[in-house]
Amino acid sequence: MNQLEIRDLWASIDGETILKGVNLVVPKGQVHALMGPNGAGKSTLGKILAGDPEYTVERGDILLDGESILDLSPDERARKGLFLAFQYPVEVPGVTIANFLRLALQAKLGREVGVAEFWTKVKKALEVLDWDESYLSRHLNEGFSGGEKKRNEILQLLVLEPAYAVLDETDSGLDIDALKVVARGVNAMRGPNFGALVITHYQRLLNYIVPDRVHVMMDGRIVAEGGPELALELEAKGYEWLRERVKEEA
Amino acid sequence: MQVLDKTQVEAISRALKEPGWLLEKRLKALEAFARLSYPSKKDEAWRYTDLSEAPLEQEVETPKGLSLSRDELPELVKRRLEKTDVSGFLVFVGPDLVYAEVPEELSAKGLVFTSLAEALKTHPGKVEATLFRGVYVEDKFAAENSAFFTHGAFLYVPAGLEVEKPLGVFKVLEGGKASAGRSLIFLEDNAKAAYIEEYLSLDLPPTLHLSATEMVLRPGARLRHAHVQTLGDGVWHFHRQRALLERDAALNDLVVNLGGRYARSEVASELLGPGAESEMLGLYFGHGLQHFDHYTLQHHVEHHTRSDLLYKGAVKDEARAVFSGLIKLERGAQKTDAYQANRNLILSPTARVDSIPQLEIGANDVRCTHGSTTAPVDEMQLFYLQSRGLSRSLAQELLVKAHLADVLNRIPLKALRAHLEAVIEEKVRI
Ligand SMILES: Nc1ncnc2c1ncn2[C@@H]1O[C@H](COP(=O)(O)OP(=O)(O)O)[C@@H](O)[C@H]1O
Ligand SMILES: [Mg+2]
Repeated sequence: MNQLEIRDLWASIDGETILKGVNLVVPKGQVHALMGPNGAGKSTLGKILAGDPEYTVERGDILLDGESILDLSPDERARKGLFLAFQYPVEVPGVTIANFLRLALQAKLGREVGVAEFWTKVKKALEVLDWDESYLSRHLNEGFSGGEKKRNEILQLLVLEPAYAVLDETDSGLDIDALKVVARGVNAMRGPNFGALVITHYQRLLNYIVPDRVHVMMDGRIVAEGGPELALELEAKGYEWLRERVKEEA
Repeated sequence: MQVLDKTQVEAISRALKEPGWLLEKRLKALEAFARLSYPSKKDEAWRYTDLSEAPLEQEVETPKGLSLSRDELPELVKRRLEKTDVSGFLVFVGPDLVYAEVPEELSAKGLVFTSLAEALKTHPGKVEATLFRGVYVEDKFAAENSAFFTHGAFLYVPAGLEVEKPLGVFKVLEGGKASAGRSLIFLEDNAKAAYIEEYLSLDLPPTLHLSATEMVLRPGARLRHAHVQTLGDGVWHFHRQRALLERDAALNDLVVNLGGRYARSEVASELLGPGAESEMLGLYFGHGLQHFDHYTLQHHVEHHTRSDLLYKGAVKDEARAVFSGLIKLERGAQKTDAYQANRNLILSPTARVDSIPQLEIGANDVRCTHGSTTAPVDEMQLFYLQSRGLSRSLAQELLVKAHLADVLNRIPLKALRAHLEAVIEEKVRI
């Protein structure tokens, strides 16, 4: 099964249950959107997929190409091809992007990566993002603006070429030009060997990254699914409309 | 069984064919040693330190007159010689100077770089003028060293001679017996040199190691000094150093503690003349049961002096580190700049750091700052790095190196820096 599958996932933090039975499948080769109001649990899902030890999974499973990854550490998951672009990328002073990215690539590929090979890859990614080489010698996210941090996440995505990526609000806080750059990065990855779950609060990003499917999360559950038109409908009618509809259905 | 008494002091002095004045000094030090008691937790400067397992009162090793060819040097030293910045070096195995390589052109210009015993024969006046000026009987261990030391290195740089490449001393501890040695560095007016002392050993049975470094910097002299210990487990390393900086003299000092079971560094810079400057860097990374003590003194005696101290360290497992730094400004020390910072990274809940910065200010027109931070490794940073495929240990290694980077980056000796980075990497993984 070439897909990222989330099966009846229940999870909590500090004793509070946040995810309450999430079911969601992203087949390889497709880009799905995950939408939902603030506090719905979208970031929680992203972090749990990446293996954030802060959260406790109470029930359910996460399957990567048919194999459970629940017992794997964050780095093992990453090496299996999962990537999370953080909503709030972490600042790591004293570690340059170049150094970090090369180590990450080596970890991913399980072998030494020569300087030449590394630079070829990074340069291509920088071109897609219209970013200056000088960023590579900057410390990881240290003193970066919100937009720079997001671009840096996409840089890592392009260099590491994961099989599945979760992008958590990579659009938030970006002006339209930066948004286009980010979309260009994700679209550059699109293809039969790449699946993505694009988390966003707004439909704006989806004008540039047109999703194959849209899932909507509320209060820790997926409450609606549909094609790209669902995003437009949500944008027009608001989450309250959906909340009402969910209530009626219940 | 030998004891630490007068008979032994006399035996050492006789075996080394020392002049009478030195024996007298040794015997005075012995008196202090006998009078002083071993420190305990009741002493303020030892309150964090447990010496109950230290091999105190261990018999002191005796020189054997061993000498080796370069090929016969211990592996530990050979490996270091493959990657080092030094242009000339001395190798001690235990108390014996077994090998020396000093560039001919430097000797021709009047530079002296040899064992203390040899220098006492060839340049007795220079040794007598400086020995014990920096370290003598300040405490029990200093007194023990002064009374019982069996070997040492001596560097003399004549006025105006500028030596760019560093000179090195590699000392290999053999273990089982106490080892007491010294470094005496004497730079005349406007002389310039760099001196690296490295202490190496395999893992050893409990072994006492006493080292003392004295630096005398005449006006305008510039010295870069590094004390680096990567000793094996089992070694209890007591190091004391004091630099005397006259007018416009400058010291760039580095103290590195990575090895041993216990290591204590008492590091003082005495700014005795206007314009004197001292940069004091410290680097440490403890694992297992290692315990590192750092007691530093920035002593501003004269006006227009400057000191800048940065000690950074990390501890993991059950390791402990102590930093206690004092900036002391005498009444005449106006227009002084004194900075002190200590930053610690804690990698495990059972590791511990105590950091005590202190100021004693007798002058008012000064610029003085000090600060200390001690924090656990940031779990968010670890998770972020791991989420990109880096193993937890590699992620920790990156964070430790990043933490220590400001000190590492201030070491212009490239090969030494690379060596330290390699040792740090290794330590993260064990
Ligand atoms: N450490 C925490 N302890 C308790 N609740 C938390 C914690 N972190 C987040 N939450 C709660 O989890 C819910 C989901 O948050 P999040 O996953 O960030 O939502 P979203 O990304 O959809 O906006 C929110 O109600 C938030 O308050
Ligand atoms: Mg969120």
